[in-house]
Amino acid sequence: MRAAIANLMARSNAEIPHYYVTQTMDLGPALAWLRAHNADLPARQRLIPSVLFLRATVLAALEVPDLNGHWVDGARRTAQRVDLGVAVATRGGGLVTPAIPDAGGLKVDDLMARLADLVSRARRGNLKQAEMAGASITVSALGENGPDALYGVIFPPQVALVGVGGIVERPWAVDGMLTVRPTVTIALAADHRASDGRTASAFLAVFAHALEHPEEL
Amino acid sequence: MNTDRAREVLFDALGQLAPEVDPAEIDPTAVLRDAADLDSVDFLELVAQLSEAIGVDIREDDYPQLDTIDSAVAFLAARG
Repeated sequence: MRAAIANLMARSNAEIPHYYVTQTMDLGPALAWLRAHNADLPARQRLIPSVLFLRATVLAALEVPDLNGHWVDGARRTAQRVDLGVAVATRGGGLVTPAIPDAGGLKVDDLMARLADLVSRARRGNLKQAEMAGASITVSALGENGPDALYGVIFPPQVALVGVGGIVERPWAVDGMLTVRPTVTIALAADHRASDGRTASAFLAVFAHALEHPEEL
Repeated sequence: MNTDRAREVLFDALGQLAPEVDPAEIDPTAVLRDAADLDSVDFLELVAQLSEAIGVDIREDDYPQLDTIDSAVAFLAARG
């Protein structure tokens, strides 16, 4: 598996002119909403922060379709739907990126169920071949206690990858006052052949808006 | 439940979620999520399995009690 990853990533770095835009976002509203939502639910129905990041990615991909698709034969092919790739570390090493097909219409509860199923099978190496291919955009996260930011490498032929950092308490200015908030840094890697910084900025703006309004997710 | 039974319940759940890890080999004071390589989906499944085993719903506010094997065993013994 390591050799396959090595080939793909080497190809990505050689062929794709990556650029990165990042934004650190206030997670206060999202985590408060999550706590309230989960309070009276049994564990298997609870949501985790990752699913909010997935939903925010889907909404941003729908709104800014230039980052949702593939680079094929020297041209960008915008995908007609969001097939959401999720990078999962397998037990015993390695990385797989199965996709949740047509994730555009899935609200957070449905997305959570799909994520839990996919991750638990991916971790144990129980994925079907068909699930491993075809994502139109991928999300990679190293966990809530992970490092501050993740500058990822795009999975070819996709044209963007959303790197989600750990959840970190940081000093935060609100209305001219200093406070402490849980935050996350989103680092969007994009293919400069297929998009430019303005497009990537628009994507992050939609992502941030989604996290500020978790009740709409 | 007593401490031995609580440890058994915890080790059973860990055995299913992290089959390549021997729970007996984990430092009982180490951060369990890291030591057993549990991501957030795994951890939620651990909470679900432990809740079913003790017949009491483990709430999010209780998660810090599951930080280490020692704290989790004490928590399960007290609640279960």
